[in-house]
Amino acid sequence: MRNDLELDAIIEDYLLGKLNPQETEAFENLRRNDAAVDHKVVSHKFFLESMEVFAAQSRLKEQLNNIHSEIDVENLASTLRPHPSKVVQLWRKHKSAIAVAASFLVLSLVSVYSIQHNTKQEERYSQMRSELSRVRNSTKDLIRTINSNTTADATTKNIKPGNYGGTGFAVSTNGYILTNLHVINGADSLYVQNNKGESYKVKAIYSDPQNDIAILKISDKNFNNLSSIPYTIKKSTSSIGETVYTLGYPKDDAVLGEGYVSSKNGFIGDTTQYQVSIPVNPGNSGGPLLDNNGNLVGIISGKPDQTEGAAFAIKSKYILEAMRAIPQDSLGSNRISSSKKSVLSGLKRTKQIEKLQDYVFMIKVYN
Amino acid sequence: MNNSLKSSVPTDREVILGILNNSEDILNKLYKAYYAMVLQFILNNNGNEDDAKDVYQEGIIVLYNKIKEGNFELSSKLKTYIYSVCRRIWLKKLSQNSKKAGNITDYEDVFAVEEDVEHHEEKDAAFVKMQSALDHLGEPCKTIIQDFYIHNLSMQDICEKFGYTNTDNAKTQKYKCLQRLKKIFFQP
Repeated sequence: MRNDLELDAIIEDYLLGKLNPQETEAFENLRRNDAAVDHKVVSHKFFLESMEVFAAQSRLKEQLNNIHSEIDVENLASTLRPHPSKVVQLWRKHKSAIAVAASFLVLSLVSVYSIQHNTKQEERYSQMRSELSRVRNSTKDLIRTINSNTTADATTKNIKPGNYGGTGFAVSTNGYILTNLHVINGADSLYVQNNKGESYKVKAIYSDPQNDIAILKISDKNFNNLSSIPYTIKKSTSSIGETVYTLGYPKDDAVLGEGYVSSKNGFIGDTTQYQVSIPVNPGNSGGPLLDNNGNLVGIISGKPDQTEGAAFAIKSKYILEAMRAIPQDSLGSNRISSSKKSVLSGLKRTKQIEKLQDYVFMIKVYN
Repeated sequence: MNNSLKSSVPTDREVILGILNNSEDILNKLYKAYYAMVLQFILNNNGNEDDAKDVYQEGIIVLYNKIKEGNFELSSKLKTYIYSVCRRIWLKKLSQNSKKAGNITDYEDVFAVEEDVEHHEEKDAAFVKMQSALDHLGEPCKTIIQDFYIHNLSMQDICEKFGYTNTDNAKTQKYKCLQRLKKIFFQP
């Protein structure tokens, strides 16, 4: 036992190079002659190497533990722990993906927006009232009042009344006439003129700013009741391609415009209107839009200012709505209906116009 | 806390040179730089703080040894390397504990480190073997051996620490311990 321990000590010293040259030589001799000793040397060498690796690793671990103790794990863990809220968790997980998606979205939105901006014609809605100069006037007025302090002359000039005109059509035989609200807006006095050139004074009795509809009532003693209304109101919506026509007063005589329904929606997708392909001019506003069978499809109300040949017409169901809004007995029994068959049905266009023109009026606006 | 950690992140080159030069400071910075990343990964994948510590330290050791062996080529960011290694180690642990590892939540890019991790595991097996041999040794042998081989104390220091009358006694005791340890260690 004692010898074994001594041998171990010598082997270790030998391996660590602590022996002096003579001892080393003596030991190497012993090693050569005794296989058992040699074996011990080899195994001890392996053991020492293992021990060295172990020692290095242990020291490193100790070092890491020391560093670890400097870190405030509690605090850090509480911020990084899976958050109870799903949203926060989702955000943390997919932070980068969300960022990429968001920036992509922004980019595509920007590019779509810019493309649209470049290609889109700046369309505006111009209402077909024959004297749009009021707008021009008013802007001029503004400029004038800003530019000059000698307002006296200018203001007297501005008082000069402007005449506007539009179209309207009878919705009952006792003198109720329907037109666009924008035709009569701001009017001091209103007159309607029939195709024979007779003028009657009218009063506005109902207006629907949302649908741009106004109902006027002839309040003139000279007015004789009309014979029964030839056209009827169409309840269903019209299909694209349906032939339609309108009669209006863009000038002093009635003008026929014919075309077709070109879109089921109006200005920028306005669902209360159709788009129709009829050339219209200022003064057509408020005119009736009829189909071949003499059904009232809508009211001409305006056109896009950059698309040629297109016009917008308020859908007929809003006429019904407007008519429901006024006292029913005042309309009389002979009013426009949606149930009867139109007497215009089956007639030639010329005959239809002949019958129709007595019921379409020019609206004259004074202010 | 988080900010102060991030502000002291050493560059990858600094880390490699630092480890090669046994710089404690660099090791310190390295450790603190990426701990949060691994902690987050472990916490969000069925682990706790202790798991994170173990896995992260193992990951650092893998990197450390690889750099020390001199064949470390920086083919990715160190951050990615550490993350990948820790991820791999944690996945193995999860499957060993037959915990569900189906849905791993990742926070960083991952790249293949299987070889490195396996290499590390071989080395670690030897480490564990030595560790368990030492544990079986019992006191005071364990401490004597540790003091001598790991903490590099001289026989004189050990003699004083354990109250042996002279260094020869201490030496005899040490060789006795060593013999027993070798016996345990070389047991198949």
